[in-house]
Amino acid sequence: MPRRNKIYWFEGVTEKGVKSLLNDENSKFRWLRSQRNRRVLVVLMSLGLILTASGSYWTSIKKELNLNSEVEIIVFSIAAIFVLFSVVGGYSFLRISVRGLADAPDELLDERQIQVRNTSFRYAYLVMGYIVLILMLLMIVGPRLELFGSDGPDGSFLLISVMFIFASLPSMILAWREKDI
Amino acid sequence: MSRQPEEPIFNRIEELRIEKGLSRQQLADAVGVHYQTVGYLERGEYNPSLSLALKISKELQTSVGEIFSLTPFRKVRNNA
Repeated sequence: MPRRNKIYWFEGVTEKGVKSLLNDENSKFRWLRSQRNRRVLVVLMSLGLILTASGSYWTSIKKELNLNSEVEIIVFSIAAIFVLFSVVGGYSFLRISVRGLADAPDELLDERQIQVRNTSFRYAYLVMGYIVLILMLLMIVGPRLELFGSDGPDGSFLLISVMFIFASLPSMILAWREKDI
Repeated sequence: MSRQPEEPIFNRIEELRIEKGLSRQQLADAVGVHYQTVGYLERGEYNPSLSLALKISKELQTSVGEIFSLTPFRKVRNNA
């Protein structure tokens, strides 16, 4: 009787999925795993996340561009779909490039993998701490110093960007730090 | 007390593995780690836990002291 595919609810992965990534079962993604390509992916992902966050400034941008409402909706929709698909795609490629180490449960990893995964989470925690601190300071100081004006940024894109940063930062750090073997 | 920077540990895993005719994947499967981890061990970029060192020693049929050392191993020239 075939063994059931265990689901790890907390990590949001399945046993077969993790094992398939760890054992390089899909060889068509081998090109992604060199350190150079992983680092390129991290840079592209960072740019995508900055672009997603900058969507919060759409109200200011559309005024600058002087777009009418119909064109505005089309431009906004196309840009939003393109950026979001790029970030979602980038996140998937990033996970594949590091063999899903960041999301894998301990019992499917060996001692070195657990060690590098834990180190990447430590760095991710520090970086997230700084990001949250900067956002909090902007929230407190921004209105007082009138940094945003009356039609200030819409926070939804910033929120989406921060959510993606939360999800992908450990993989980004792993992708950057892991050496080629 | 602060943690000292990790001391390098030298090893002969690659040499002994090749002597035994094992691939990285075969050794990795035998000791229960990923094949990449064997690569990191061989390059001295990762120091194994005591239990992993003992498993490697058992698999390579060589004592831990003969596989790992705090000083570099002398290169043995094979003139045969």
